[in-house]
Amino acid sequence: MKNRAFIFVLLFVLLFVAFIGDLLTGNAPITPAETWLALFGTSGDEIIDEIIRNYRLPKAITAAIAGSALSLSGLLMQTLFRNPLAGPDVLGVSAGAGLGVALLTMLSGTIVYPFISAMGSMAQIIAAIAGAAVVLVLILAVSARIKDSITILVLGMIFGYVASALVTILQSFADPDSLKVFVTWTFGSLGGVTWNKMPFLLVLTAFGILVSLFLQKSLNSLLLGENYAASTGLNIKRIRISIIAIAAVVTGAVTAFTGPIAFVGVVIPHFARTFFGTVNHKTVLPATLLMGSILLLICDIVSQIPLTGRTLPVNAVTAVFGAPMIVWIVLKRKKL
Amino acid sequence: MLQKKNSLPFLSFACGLLFLMCACQSGQHHKKKVLDEDKPVSSVIIRHAKGFQIDHFNNYTRVILHDPWSEDKPYAVYYLYRNDSTQLPAGGTKLKIPLTSLTVNTFSYFTFLDLLDEEDVIKGVTDGFRVFHPGILHKLESGEIADLGDPFHPNIEMTLALKPQAIISSAYAQRDNYSERMINAGFPVIYSLEWMENSPLARAEWIRMIAAFFDKETMGDTIFTGIERRYLELQNKIKSVSPQHTVMSGDNFQNTWYVPGGKSFHAILFRDAQLDYLYKNNREYGSIALDIESVLTRFGKADYWFGCEAGTYAGLAEKDAKYLLLQSVKKRQVYNNHNRITPAGGNDYFESAIANPDLLLSDLVKAAYPEILPDYSFTYIKPLEELPAREK
Repeated sequence: MKNRAFIFVLLFVLLFVAFIGDLLTGNAPITPAETWLALFGTSGDEIIDEIIRNYRLPKAITAAIAGSALSLSGLLMQTLFRNPLAGPDVLGVSAGAGLGVALLTMLSGTIVYPFISAMGSMAQIIAAIAGAAVVLVLILAVSARIKDSITILVLGMIFGYVASALVTILQSFADPDSLKVFVTWTFGSLGGVTWNKMPFLLVLTAFGILVSLFLQKSLNSLLLGENYAASTGLNIKRIRISIIAIAAVVTGAVTAFTGPIAFVGVVIPHFARTFFGTVNHKTVLPATLLMGSILLLICDIVSQIPLTGRTLPVNAVTAVFGAPMIVWIVLKRKKL
Repeated sequence: MLQKKNSLPFLSFACGLLFLMCACQSGQHHKKKVLDEDKPVSSVIIRHAKGFQIDHFNNYTRVILHDPWSEDKPYAVYYLYRNDSTQLPAGGTKLKIPLTSLTVNTFSYFTFLDLLDEEDVIKGVTDGFRVFHPGILHKLESGEIADLGDPFHPNIEMTLALKPQAIISSAYAQRDNYSERMINAGFPVIYSLEWMENSPLARAEWIRMIAAFFDKETMGDTIFTGIERRYLELQNKIKSVSPQHTVMSGDNFQNTWYVPGGKSFHAILFRDAQLDYLYKNNREYGSIALDIESVLTRFGKADYWFGCEAGTYAGLAEKDAKYLLLQSVKKRQVYNNHNRITPAGGNDYFESAIANPDLLLSDLVKAAYPEILPDYSFTYIKPLEELPAREK
């Protein structure tokens, strides 16, 4: 137990270090001293203040939130479906968000233009949330009627496939510029969340995270199988719908604000379970939240590596640089 | 009980959405309210372009960029002033002219700035590796000009660090994050919307728009008048040419062949070059996606093919033997746009052609009716070669 407490302290320290590291990394040459001054006073250069306060700081906060939220969503899905490959995207919610953005982008010069014109860059976020919400409603409607979790999993994936297929159809008719705008969205970007958008991301994800903290006990029962969980007096249907709703809302919210970010959500829960050697959600859930934040912050630092004006798409960095890290740990421990 | 508990996520979600919408809309109200009380002293007569307007007031100039996708309100309004003491109307973007530093996220303005003798104001560009312009390329190599990365996603920190007076950025039917962020940080964005014009002269006329930002309107007008004169002279010269040759355009990309719509830039260029384009009566402003079967059946008999992507006929055959069925290929009358390219992939066709519509027209005339321009040699287009594909 003491050991666990120590690891948690270590994770908090790591989170802090990664957060600071993220604030210190970027294409503009800014020293740690200037960063400090820009955060807690003024560096004397308004551009440095602007970059640190209004770009790097919200970006680091977004990375921390998105990492936590996606990992939480992955953990919930893995526990509910008792499937190690489940992740935030299995419910089709990210694909739904993608469809929303695709519709907006590909039809941008036509009927949806007044909406874009009125909403500015918020239009894309609203479209993504609307797309995610449609799939969320579908999946909740299905889960209220179907008893078997695996069937819900399959249906969720089917919704996802249909949404992706519709995106492909839209893409095939799109002009090259709209296509590029959409493809750029699929790269994922943590830098798109400005201060005026931050409260919405925070509210939507914080809600999911808080509610999930009250579900730890039920999640533990689910690990033993739904029949067993039901025999302990758990209302399976209610718990299932709550889990799906939380996972879908946080995934939809994060995807809407950052674009799709793969890998983190699937891998972090395994990482947390392996690291603490337990499946108990009282440990794994907070660990997942912390580790998700840390990993995405590190990925954001790595995405700055080219240092040429181009940054790597964060959606790719998570897999390309995150995967070897995980493989190394798995090999060292000889199991997941 | 069950229902009550489960409605919680929905409620929060709906509330969040509602908040989002309210916040955005209230933010929009005090954003841009255009149209000044006083009348302009004079307005510049724009001859071809539909996308902008320039009005002179006593102490300042107003440039309005119209929204190509909506008539409700302008896309952007700029108030250009020379003295800090000038009183300006509320709203719009205020810029002190002449501008002295810019980042340019679109290739099409390089030649405009060059012709206006303002190439030195460029401090940053996007997609630096694809630049053709030798002067800019040189400065990119020496580090005088920064490469800001992907034009659809330029590097925010580097742009800010350059502290440009303004940013020229291509506008799409989207309000992007990058522009919004730059504007919020105090860096105005001059939107490039010339690409929405559908005639070669209209696009070139945008040099007059950007000239206003350097207090060089007369110079811009003189340059454009020259371009216009050369274009119209050539157009007149070939008016009576007969018979007209038929033409096709574009290329196959993963089984989709994008051909120009009947009201598009290319269709108008073909019309002006006395080339008969099958879709000339089509009403589309953009491009039309066709499959190869439709192209073969509809354009199989066209005499000329412009905008092919291959370098050689062998390369064309290697890509897809079906190309060999085209009349234009049989007649060896196929042209690509690769006459002025850099090894890294820069192509002057995407840079200077916008400012040289007369040369674009000359290229087509030279290809189709060479007797009219005996001494001209191709600027942007290039006939496909017979060499094997690998030796191109």
